[in-house]
Amino acid sequence: MTFRARHLQEDGLFECYLAEHCGEPLEPPAAEHLTDCAECRARYGDLRRFMDALRTEADSELDEIFPPERQRAQQQQIARRVEHVGHHARVISFPGRQPGLPAPGATSRVAHHWLGVAAAAGLVIGVGLGTGYYSLAPSRARQAVVSHSIADPVEAPALATEPIVVPALVTDVNEQFLSELELALERPHTSELLALDELTPHVREVRVQLR
Amino acid sequence: MAPSLSDDTRIAVEIRGLVVQGTLDAARERFAELVVIHQRRAMRIAYQYLHDAAEADEAVQDAFVKAFGHIESYREAWPFEVWFTRILINGCLDRRKSRLRRARWFVSTDVAHVSENARPAFGGTAALDPESRLLARERRARLAAAVDRLDGRQRTIFMMSHYGDCTPREVGAIMGLKESTVRVHLFRAARKLRGLLGGQP
Repeated sequence: MTFRARHLQEDGLFECYLAEHCGEPLEPPAAEHLTDCAECRARYGDLRRFMDALRTEADSELDEIFPPERQRAQQQQIARRVEHVGHHARVISFPGRQPGLPAPGATSRVAHHWLGVAAAAGLVIGVGLGTGYYSLAPSRARQAVVSHSIADPVEAPALATEPIVVPALVTDVNEQFLSELELALERPHTSELLALDELTPHVREVRVQLR
Repeated sequence: MAPSLSDDTRIAVEIRGLVVQGTLDAARERFAELVVIHQRRAMRIAYQYLHDAAEADEAVQDAFVKAFGHIESYREAWPFEVWFTRILINGCLDRRKSRLRRARWFVSTDVAHVSENARPAFGGTAALDPESRLLARERRARLAAAVDRLDGRQRTIFMMSHYGDCTPREVGAIMGLKESTVRVHLFRAARKLRGLLGGQP
């Protein structure tokens, strides 16, 4: 008398499908049962057809949306994007140059050096002129006050207060602004600006010079 | 004895070596081979996740570029396929999340609507007559809706296994789960899909 094993459960059938799908051997008892039991074989067939149909559907959909020419285009796009991996960010050349002509910056590497030198020279000249301007400013201010004090009472008494009040206000605003800048420069997160700060005249120095 | 490496893993290891040496041009050339090997499978996974041809295309490109950019961190303990699939799926999940965020404010998230609109991006259904095309579209929309009704983890596991050709062991490695857990999720996903689709995809 032979005993037939109980029917395979759903999860047992699915394990069989997974094993077959992954190219692994089926568990011997399950494989034997599937050979012997027509009912389980039919259930297993249904499961396999369902799962295979899901996959076939996905494949045919992919063929439609992703034809070979699209695959090639994607390969080229990936290749183009991969070209930039590992490169540092580039400065895009300014448009308007003829494609065949060399870039203005590429004519000579010396030009890059001159650019740096010119920038440094510009900075030094700017600082020099600024300092010179402020050092001359007190005498100019005194001259202006003197000229006003002589001319204004005679010709235009109504306007006499204007040159005195407005510059004072502007000076106050400027001083406040410059003071705020100084305060900002003293904060720790602006330490990288300290070198620049050393090159520029400070409010307190200018104030002393103005007095 | 060390286990033999699959072709793609061997190529990936070579690319990593070339990148470390600084010979990037040679690395890029070799990487093109990896793209050819995995492109179709990657597109299948991305499309099943996103149901949008153009977005799937972008997701696949991003995954390949990211894989090349981080090839130095690749270790051959797992096949390149597994590593790459993980990158791809993370990218797809990010895109789904941001799409849902956008959809919450701007557009409907109806899957059938999305897949219908998504198709024309690359064209390609000219071989079928209009009726078959319509039927196929309906069938796929139904299937996509059913897959979307799987819970997040089940869906990911099902995608990787069924559309990504990963073994339960590899899926476990990608997801950080035990192989037995992956098998249980797969079984539940298949059972739910059968229930939703009435045994007919």
